[in-house]
Amino acid sequence: MKFKQLAQLVELAQLTKVVSFNTVTLAVTIILSLTCLTHAVQAKTIAITNATVYTVASQGILSQATVIIENDIITAINPEQVNADETIDANGRILTPGLIGSMNVLGLVEVAAVAKTLDGSDKKAGISFDASLAFNPKSTLIAYSRKGGITSNIVAPGGGEDLFAGQTFAVNLSGNFSSIIAKKNAVLVYLGAKSKGSRAQRLQALDHSFADLQKKLNKKASKEVKQTANKDENPVKELKRDEKVIKALLSGEKPLLAYADRATDLLALLALKQKYSLDLVLVSASDAVLIADEIAAADVPVIMSAIDNLPSSFDSLHGDLSNMSVLVNAGVKVILAPKGDSHNINQLRFDAGIAVANGLAKTEALSTLTANVADVFKLNSGRIAVGKNADLVLWSADPFELSTKVDLMWISGKQVSTQSRQDALRNRYTSQGDMPKAYSK
Amino acid sequence: MQTIPVKLGFTVAAVSLALTACLPSEKQDAKVNINKNPFPSTYKALPQQNTLFTNATVLTGSGQRFDNADVLIVDGKITQLGVDIIAEDVLTINSQGKWLTPGIIDVHSHLGVYPSPSVESHADGNEITAPNTAEVWAEHSVWPQDPGFQAARAGGITTLQILPGSANLFGGRGVTLRNVPSETMQGMKFTDAPYGLKMACGENPKRIYGSRKQQPSTRMGNVAGYRAAWAAATEYKRAWDKYNSDYAAGKNSQAPTRDLELDTLMGVLDGEILVHNHCYKAEEMAVMIDLGKEFNYDSGTFHHGVEAYKIADKLAENANCVAMWPDWWGFKMEAYDMVEENVAIVDAVKNSCAIVHSDSDTTIQRLNQEAAKVMYRANENGFSLKPENAIKWITFNAAKSLGISDTTGSLAAGKNADVVLWNGNPFSVYAQAEQVFIDGAKVYDRHDEKYQAKSDFLLGQE
Repeated sequence: MKFKQLAQLVELAQLTKVVSFNTVTLAVTIILSLTCLTHAVQAKTIAITNATVYTVASQGILSQATVIIENDIITAINPEQVNADETIDANGRILTPGLIGSMNVLGLVEVAAVAKTLDGSDKKAGISFDASLAFNPKSTLIAYSRKGGITSNIVAPGGGEDLFAGQTFAVNLSGNFSSIIAKKNAVLVYLGAKSKGSRAQRLQALDHSFADLQKKLNKKASKEVKQTANKDENPVKELKRDEKVIKALLSGEKPLLAYADRATDLLALLALKQKYSLDLVLVSASDAVLIADEIAAADVPVIMSAIDNLPSSFDSLHGDLSNMSVLVNAGVKVILAPKGDSHNINQLRFDAGIAVANGLAKTEALSTLTANVADVFKLNSGRIAVGKNADLVLWSADPFELSTKVDLMWISGKQVSTQSRQDALRNRYTSQGDMPKAYSK
Repeated sequence: MQTIPVKLGFTVAAVSLALTACLPSEKQDAKVNINKNPFPSTYKALPQQNTLFTNATVLTGSGQRFDNADVLIVDGKITQLGVDIIAEDVLTINSQGKWLTPGIIDVHSHLGVYPSPSVESHADGNEITAPNTAEVWAEHSVWPQDPGFQAARAGGITTLQILPGSANLFGGRGVTLRNVPSETMQGMKFTDAPYGLKMACGENPKRIYGSRKQQPSTRMGNVAGYRAAWAAATEYKRAWDKYNSDYAAGKNSQAPTRDLELDTLMGVLDGEILVHNHCYKAEEMAVMIDLGKEFNYDSGTFHHGVEAYKIADKLAENANCVAMWPDWWGFKMEAYDMVEENVAIVDAVKNSCAIVHSDSDTTIQRLNQEAAKVMYRANENGFSLKPENAIKWITFNAAKSLGISDTTGSLAAGKNADVVLWNGNPFSVYAQAEQVFIDGAKVYDRHDEKYQAKSDFLLGQE
């Protein structure tokens, strides 16, 4: 291929000192211009062949399949002819969409107990709070998370004193400065039991914030009609920044992610969805299992942990390892996300395995970490299908099994490493030598 | 009354005179003894059933694996491990395709003292009011109705140590429990298990007391605090030793004033109470080892030793056990240098004692999988660990750390029949404990509701 030949030419030019300086300069110039040209006209093509492909899409599971990646996109599955720059023989191994984490503060926290490394919360954070401005793709958590086959993530800030905790954003785990996929893609609200005061207050405030804006929008609309008819009317005031976000919620343009656990809170939220046509997503939702049919009928997705089976509060007395399977079987779209943790989100796949051990079908479990997340957050990933972003993981065996590891993974078509700071430390301390370990790098 | 002959009378008087010369003339007061077991165990095994497991894959906990093996339990003890065991009047459990391991032991739990639900009135796990609260005993905070005990039992946990929290330099005594339902702590208490003393290094004590403008506010303040306490305990022990030897010599000496804080530390100096030291960092563990030598006590088990891999040789050389998570990290600076092979690196040294612990009401339910993660990650990076090695981290080594390895922690003739029957390889994500036995009594059965206990708290909740 052209690419390989060019690369060889560069190596040759660099390694053989027989060529004159001028020749080298010329060669490099030509190569550089050719490279640019090549980028423009021909995509780099990768073929993953002989894979067991979990498409998490209509094609289900494909055996001995070929997936073609061009640049950052999946361009073909089982094409008649394979013509690629690079071919990887999966040798029957399982290829899945990259897993998608959610509801953590990845990239907004380095060490939880070091205040200056925390960017997920702020006293003043309100509905417009956009924590993506603080996202650090060089955080050591990112590379470590890749070990779990996670290629992208929904980051959810903790908010502040306001009713609304701000907005989520989507990132990939490439570690590049251009990691952010989507900013402000959902609004967060934390409801339920409170140490001080009543849970009713927040539910009521939520209702009122929608009602108030609805009223304002109606007023504005009628004013605009009048204005069109009579030019003398004062110009209509523009909505405030926060109001625009509530408007986006009312139009269903942005999902509302509502943290709540007790069944009464969840039902109150379903009623709000009905009243204001919200794109509602329930998060945590310990009691969801008590009202699984209602949630399914309302077509409301649930983001939940697979392993919180203890009655940790009076809002969550019905935890069970089988809850996720009960909800999925009732027809609820479920996303798996552990509570709170960001440093160990690479365990997501094991949590999925635990859900499987407690009744969830394996393919459904995979959906909770891929397609379902993509659907709720409108990401072009989470499935292996033509046109989807090439976020892929080739596993040594069953992705959920403890003994399995990531063999290869791609983010937007680019192969990424699973090596992290933890590996560097291990290598240092398992190395042998007379000098102190500090010399081993 | 019998008349004493004059001659004999003289002799007695002479002897009496002679004794007066070398013994105190005063009458001795009653001996003051410290009751070392004022809250004794009332644990009794649940109804036992003599049982024969046949054709199981057996991991002994002490490093061996036997395929298609039989294990016989009689009167609460393991009596035989072999092939084609023949036994009469026993319940035979066909264990083909299943795995049998010792009961799982967690050396670090706060079940009962930080129970579910985690409401204010249940936060009984840490007496943070002073840097040294060696006088408090975790057992006095245990709420036996914590639903977490049942969940842990479903994960194969048969024995667990309940520790106080890590705010203090000396957090108090830990207690080892049998994971059986009971209305009282005493009903769960592991008979004759030694007490533990919870100590803590590093960030927690210095942060908590430093923020109150009191010592310690630094790591050197921490160490000064330990040393002052051990110096006082050394004096206290000397006073008691002197009282005891004087009394034995017949003197009517005055007993030292009881000090509950120093009682606990003296127990450590006497080798009766085992140190369990929350200590993440390599350099701090090294200091704690020297501290033990300075005051002549065993520095015991290091808990959460995230950096143990950096000094694995030293830890083994000094015979310290180290209890670790497979992969928790990053919540504090002292937990920043995690490596997934930590347990394996510690374990690889001769005479080591590596343990996987939970410190969690969630992961205690799957300590087998916590150990599994270590094994697989280490094997991806040059180790060749097998299930028979990894099981040791949550059975035999844990029992050793708690001072109960003579009775539990491995499958061997004569040991307590603490046994878990797994639906398959326990080092799989799909593994589940099917049946759990403590002292030969079935305490849990996944397929028989009769053997699934339920906390009072959850009864009648809708």
